[in-house]
Amino acid sequence: MHNVVIIGAGPAGLSASLAAAAAGAPVLLIDSNPRLGGQYWRMSADDFQDQHNQHFDLDTGLLLINAVKARKEIEVWSGAQIWSATNKDGKNTLRIIYQGKERIVNTENLILCTGAYDRTLPFPGWDIPGVMTPGGVQSLLKGHGVLAGRRVVVAGSGPFLLPVAAGVIKAGGSVVALLEASKSRRWLTSFFVLLENISKIKEAFYYIKTISEAKVRARFGQAVIAAHAASNGELESVDIAKIDRNFRIKKVQNIKCDVAAIGWGFTADTSLAGSLGCNQLVAKDDGVVVWVDGEQQTSIPGVFAAGEITGIGGSDLSMAEGVIAGISAAKFVGCNVEVLKAHRKRRAKRQRFANALIRAYPIKPGWKSWLKDETIICRCEEVCLSDLKHSINELGATDSRTAKLLTRCGMGLCQGRICGRFVVDLVANELNLSPTDTDRISAVNRPIITPIPLGVLALGE
Amino acid sequence: MKNPDAIVIGAGVVGACCALALTNAGLKVLIIDRGPVASGTTGAGEGNILVSDKEPSAELTLAIRSRDLWFEIDTDIGGGFELEAKGGVVVSRSAKGISDLKRLSALQKVNGVEVIELDGAGLRKIEPHLSESVDYGVLYPGDAQCQPMLAAAQIIRAVKKRGGSFIQGENVVKINANAGSITGVTTDKNQYASPIIINATGTWAGEIAKLAGSYLPIMPRRGFILVTSPAPKIVHHKVYDADYVANVASSDADLQSAAVVEGTASGTILIGASRERVGFKGDMDISILRQLARQAISLFPVLADIQLLRAYRGFRPYAPDHLPVIGPDKNIAGLWHAAGHEGAGIGLAPATGDLIAAQITGRTPFMDPSAFSPVRFKGGEYVAV
Repeated sequence: MHNVVIIGAGPAGLSASLAAAAAGAPVLLIDSNPRLGGQYWRMSADDFQDQHNQHFDLDTGLLLINAVKARKEIEVWSGAQIWSATNKDGKNTLRIIYQGKERIVNTENLILCTGAYDRTLPFPGWDIPGVMTPGGVQSLLKGHGVLAGRRVVVAGSGPFLLPVAAGVIKAGGSVVALLEASKSRRWLTSFFVLLENISKIKEAFYYIKTISEAKVRARFGQAVIAAHAASNGELESVDIAKIDRNFRIKKVQNIKCDVAAIGWGFTADTSLAGSLGCNQLVAKDDGVVVWVDGEQQTSIPGVFAAGEITGIGGSDLSMAEGVIAGISAAKFVGCNVEVLKAHRKRRAKRQRFANALIRAYPIKPGWKSWLKDETIICRCEEVCLSDLKHSINELGATDSRTAKLLTRCGMGLCQGRICGRFVVDLVANELNLSPTDTDRISAVNRPIITPIPLGVLALGE
Repeated sequence: MKNPDAIVIGAGVVGACCALALTNAGLKVLIIDRGPVASGTTGAGEGNILVSDKEPSAELTLAIRSRDLWFEIDTDIGGGFELEAKGGVVVSRSAKGISDLKRLSALQKVNGVEVIELDGAGLRKIEPHLSESVDYGVLYPGDAQCQPMLAAAQIIRAVKKRGGSFIQGENVVKINANAGSITGVTTDKNQYASPIIINATGTWAGEIAKLAGSYLPIMPRRGFILVTSPAPKIVHHKVYDADYVANVASSDADLQSAAVVEGTASGTILIGASRERVGFKGDMDISILRQLARQAISLFPVLADIQLLRAYRGFRPYAPDHLPVIGPDKNIAGLWHAAGHEGAGIGLAPATGDLIAAQITGRTPFMDPSAFSPVRFKGGEYVAV
């Protein structure tokens, strides 16, 4: 029997591993974090004290993590970085840096559960130390028990702001402002969707309870539109603005803070899938995701995908997809197993909730009006908006790829993970065009998935 | 633009330089490209402006003039493309390699190239991180570098400011001629009339020649370049192994590679150079990346700890005799070719433009251009690779 190779040990990857192993397929689970659980169930050490504080549902996570550890059919490589993935003649080759050495894994059966990371938007001062993403603040809290600062502004859009605000409060910090850019509470009107996803509502109220007990009131239709540094270069205050339906600034006010956690939902990490040649598509939130069929199979037979990389939808949807992907992959390698109707039903239910959320938290184009010519767009290469405009208006760039090559925007150490997505919007905006799907998909194309030391590359075969 | 004096097909660095030379000679020039500026081989190059890698020949004469023209263009259009007279260092570690390099550099010196022989200590004085295993090399102060995409874009910008125009996103589907003379081009969107067409489409120049009913044997030779994360200044010159010179001149279809290592203005380090004839095959060949990394580390051991960030590939346009094709088509009056510069297109572009403009306007060219004439190819079927 062939191994099923699973990439990523968050909710989707853990569920897929258990489902495939339970069906009789041996599993190799490869993950870049030092510990299982992904970002959602990130923990500070294996012999943890009580970390339930920072989690709504750590029990489920611990259940999955311990089950994966207990199963002999599941081999785990933690702290492993995949730097290259190619597909040739039906065979997938993964090149992995694991325990300081490069390992090559060849497989016909893969499940990609590579998750997502914070979606960022630029604004004046977003490069000041102290301006972070909610995911970054949460990683420090969950992974290291560290509170990034005492007075915290949590802002942006989407339900993820709630657990981050609650986490800060539970860790003893003070949330000086909690701002949701979207005014809409439309999702409250999708009564049926709410009813069938009652656990998600419980989760939301769990956070809201913490937040309201701390006497923090969420303000809707407001956003951080600028950050200011003190003389030591660190964050001192932010400008928060009432914004209209299209995110255009109406009224501005300045507040002091040590940390601003600002995020706009998530961007799926599809680099690995893209490297293999899996078809990608642009989702309703303009993010690039991996196309899958009803069995969670990608456009490459034998390569499956589950979780956030197939569309942002949260941990419950990820687990539902992971189970189906695990069963499908086991079936692909010859196990006698079928995806059950109940599995599909559960996934459909979670999917409806995810769709409702995406509709409820739209990112409107007015954010571009917050920028100034001298606002940094690419932090790695220190490219500012005027450079980008120059490449278009003077040097004749007519697409984001050319603008990128002429300015080095997105060509730095993060490989465009931070700015790549919104640079496509900014370039199109300057050209008075709408970005094409090709623009968006080519912006996430990374043949070298993660930087690799030349010395390690040189030693490989 | 209605009725341009000349149409340049191709917005790479060669097309840009031809357009600039013609514009400066007083012609109204229209540049057409099927893609954005520098979207072909120019956008995949390192920006080499070399006098060190050529045997004494017509090509070396072209290279020496071209190198100086780059600095004139820099002044003429106001820079903006990171032109840097950084100098090249060629090293060799084998007895034969060293004696070949001594012979080559002596010949180059006679032909007007500045060369400075260096021993191990001298080398490490100018390149402190160079491997201890290297104890002979030649410094070529004349070698330079630019950012090729910016160069093409800035030159085209200047052409536009001086009355020319640039149309991108239109694919030339027909070359129009009447009684053996050029009358213009038809693209997938428009038609343009002009008595002069310059074919500066690089690796794809054979296709344009074919559209015109002529023949040009230009083929692709694939190369990969590694790009590292920005690092403190480790490599000060363009440093390469003397094997590179032999590879450039070779006609072998198999993979060849020799370490070419250089720092850029942005702090990244570029590592080349592989050559192979595999047609327009675009897939990432990891074994080549590994070989390039090994060769680079053998020159600069400190690179082992530097991160590889990106790798990209391009297709060098080459003619069977590895010389560029610069001059009038032998069959159709008004059709000019400026292509086939292989890996030297960035370096040779200004002199190419100068030769083209001189011949079109009737000015005496700075050198005898006959070595580059398209007439040197016997006719025959054009075969796409």
